[in-house]
Amino acid sequence: MITIRAKNGLDMNIPGQPDGPASRLMDMERVGLSPASFPHIRPKLLVKVGDKVRQGSILFADKRNPDIGFASPGGGTVESIDYGPRRAINAITIRVDREEAREDRGVLDRHQLAVLSRDALARHLMAGGLWPLIRSLPFRDIADPAFTPPAIIINLDTLDPFHAEPALYLDGSAGAFLFGLDALKRLAPAVYIVACRKEDTLPPEIRGLVTHRVRGRFPADDPGVFLYYTRASAAANRCWYIHGRDVVLLGKFLSSGVYPVKRLVSVSSPNGSRHVLSRLGAPLALLAPEVRNHDTHVTIAGGLWRGQVAGPNDYLGLYDAALTLLPAGNQPEFLGFLRPGRRKPSHWRAFLSALHNDPLALDAGRHGEERACVNCGSCAAVCPVDILPQFTLKSVLAGEIEEALAHGLLDCVECGLCAYVCPSKIELTFLLRQARESYYREQQAVGERP
Amino acid sequence: MKAVRKIFDAGRRHFQPGGRLALLAPLFAAMETFFFIPGETSRRQPFIRDSLDLKRFMSVVILALAPPLLFGIYNTGYQASRTAGLPPDFLSVTARGLWIVMPLIIVSYGVGFFWEMLFAAIRRHPISEGFLVTGLLFPLTLPPTIPLWQAALGISFGVVIGKEIFGGTGRNIFNPALTGRAFLFFAYPARMSGDPVWVARLTPGVDAVTGATPLGLAALSQVGQKIETILAGSDFSFFRMLIGHHAGSIGETSALCCLAGAVILIATGVGSFRIIAGGILGVLATGGLLNLFAGPAAQPWFGLNPFYHLVMGGFAFGIVYMATDPVSAPGLEPAKWVYGFCIGALTVLIRVFNPAYPEGVMLSILFMNLFSPLLDHVGIALRLKKRIPNV
Ligand code: SF4
Ligand code: SF4
Repeated sequence: MITIRAKNGLDMNIPGQPDGPASRLMDMERVGLSPASFPHIRPKLLVKVGDKVRQGSILFADKRNPDIGFASPGGGTVESIDYGPRRAINAITIRVDREEAREDRGVLDRHQLAVLSRDALARHLMAGGLWPLIRSLPFRDIADPAFTPPAIIINLDTLDPFHAEPALYLDGSAGAFLFGLDALKRLAPAVYIVACRKEDTLPPEIRGLVTHRVRGRFPADDPGVFLYYTRASAAANRCWYIHGRDVVLLGKFLSSGVYPVKRLVSVSSPNGSRHVLSRLGAPLALLAPEVRNHDTHVTIAGGLWRGQVAGPNDYLGLYDAALTLLPAGNQPEFLGFLRPGRRKPSHWRAFLSALHNDPLALDAGRHGEERACVNCGSCAAVCPVDILPQFTLKSVLAGEIEEALAHGLLDCVECGLCAYVCPSKIELTFLLRQARESYYREQQAVGERP
Repeated sequence: MKAVRKIFDAGRRHFQPGGRLALLAPLFAAMETFFFIPGETSRRQPFIRDSLDLKRFMSVVILALAPPLLFGIYNTGYQASRTAGLPPDFLSVTARGLWIVMPLIIVSYGVGFFWEMLFAAIRRHPISEGFLVTGLLFPLTLPPTIPLWQAALGISFGVVIGKEIFGGTGRNIFNPALTGRAFLFFAYPARMSGDPVWVARLTPGVDAVTGATPLGLAALSQVGQKIETILAGSDFSFFRMLIGHHAGSIGETSALCCLAGAVILIATGVGSFRIIAGGILGVLATGGLLNLFAGPAAQPWFGLNPFYHLVMGGFAFGIVYMATDPVSAPGLEPAKWVYGFCIGALTVLIRVFNPAYPEGVMLSILFMNLFSPLLDHVGIALRLKKRIPNV
């Protein structure tokens, strides 16, 4: 096992980490799937309102590669299809039948898997709706099956706060994980299994397989950070990655032929935190009733740092394993900058809170106004992949995309730390991501030309 | 708190577009956000933000400026009282100090704010907190005898030429307070140097009160003399210079107070210890190196104990408060060491090789301000060389 020490990053002592056993929440009247929760895709709807679908039926495909299907997280009737601005599909809602019908894609055993061609295996996963679990660096796009990546990175942990430890989601699923791992090994010449914390709690069969240990603060769990520390040449930049919990899904699907929907979700809110054994596509309002108070609370699906803001009508997405609720932080604070700040969480040492280590509650307030960059350098001090965000951003704003790329724009893992620490409240993460996206679209446009 | 809220809510409409005072909108916003950190939810990833904002950042600098400011007020009053033969008890001395210093601070803030406002209104950008620091730094570097109109001119030059013509806070390459001071130095040298300017006159008619400064005395040294002896002869022991209980610029005399400020800046992370430590190293290394060339026939400056450089003149004030200004300093950590070191080294070199112009720290900092983008540029180029590209 190779140990990597990741520099920089940030760990915060936040109250309300869920622990203890998970409660079960599987029965629900409706489930849903949102194409908008998948990066970069151009969805093509394959169902309409009123259609009968099974759990695992393909609801829509990606126009860029129509073989890549996105599966229904439940069996029943398509109840509604919500469109957002510019006819983007917000959500497809399915009313679940009492007896859910399931799509049967055929059982594979170890031997069959071993003789299946790489191509056939990829097709099987695409048709089954599992392929989107595999993504590619650096754009975090869904993997292109026609391309053989240098390696696939499996991250067992999530250091984004409130996520369940691997021991919890692997509990009783070690076999499925190993089966999924076998499949991944067919797709790339190398598969790395990366652990960040507490390998000793992993099931023994898996503990021995861990190839890398990354020690460090958030976001040391990120495949992009792993790659930053391990790549020896630019050839390794286009690795694929998949989370450990999704490897379990791959294994379950291959060995049963059924689209698996069980998902362990960590729900944390100011009113308490808990693990919930639920399912993909679960309505967020069912997982945490507080989601409905969206004036006073901000709901983040997918983790405190990396997640997206969600509303009461949203559903648990394919990549989400955490639901975090924060107070909106929208109360003006009288003479806020003069307060001693004993309970103010801060990366800086300019509040009294620097003198103790107690957990400090966060909110979603911006805590100040946007100002010009004062070149304080704190964004660079936290960046896990050694980008100088302030200089990279300046190149981006000046339209010098080549220079921004040389600075490491594509290595950015979108962790959000730079924007968090910035005293000038500059939207560094957002602006850098926008720049990456527009560069990505440019690349796509070039690629599509005959 | 509610009452304050009401005042703002009642006044807001006048400052909104179309209101009578629409041009003063930045002033209104500055006042309002001074009292209330706006309650805004962050709308972009990440949805959490640090509790520290630029107001807090700059308040920490103001806090760190408190020791030299308070001591400066007392000391200015004390020096003036002593020469005027007035009783030196603490309260009356402080009152006289306030009487001399406060007008300067008020003029500095008042005139500076006028320019800030003007540019903010024209450019429609918010008033930056950076000025809270500039407006206080500037008067502290002045001799107490400076006429108010010159102070007004200096701060105007500092804000307009030192900052606004570059595009405002964050874009300026020079420290605005230092720019203003340098302007006064070159425009009105008689008011900014020499012996007679360091003690304020309280009694009209008493002319040419001289209060020699350690640097001024040292500049008079002849070959064969030892500066330490000359200083000691005028009762300038190392210890007294460290405390700073002597004539000089209002806030600059006490290295000890600056050290207290440095501790605040470094402990909070607001000031870069690399710059400060680099500066001290630069002084000691250069001073020590020159010691090697000191002989009976050499300039006395060569043989000066390098630690004296740290406590003489405005070095301590400059390196702690001016050099650490993040905007005009380099952003990369290794570059900050080099930057600080060069400031220290240049300060000593200017003092030694140009004794006619003993206060080297101001020019060293301005000079290195000019080079800090270059230092960053080189630092970035070295970093990028090591980086495996991802394109
Ligand atoms: S640039 Fe910002 S968002 Fe990107 S990796 Fe660095 S700290 Fe994270
Ligand atoms: S943290 Fe913000 S203010 Fe500081 S250097 Fe980075 S972008 Fe500039």
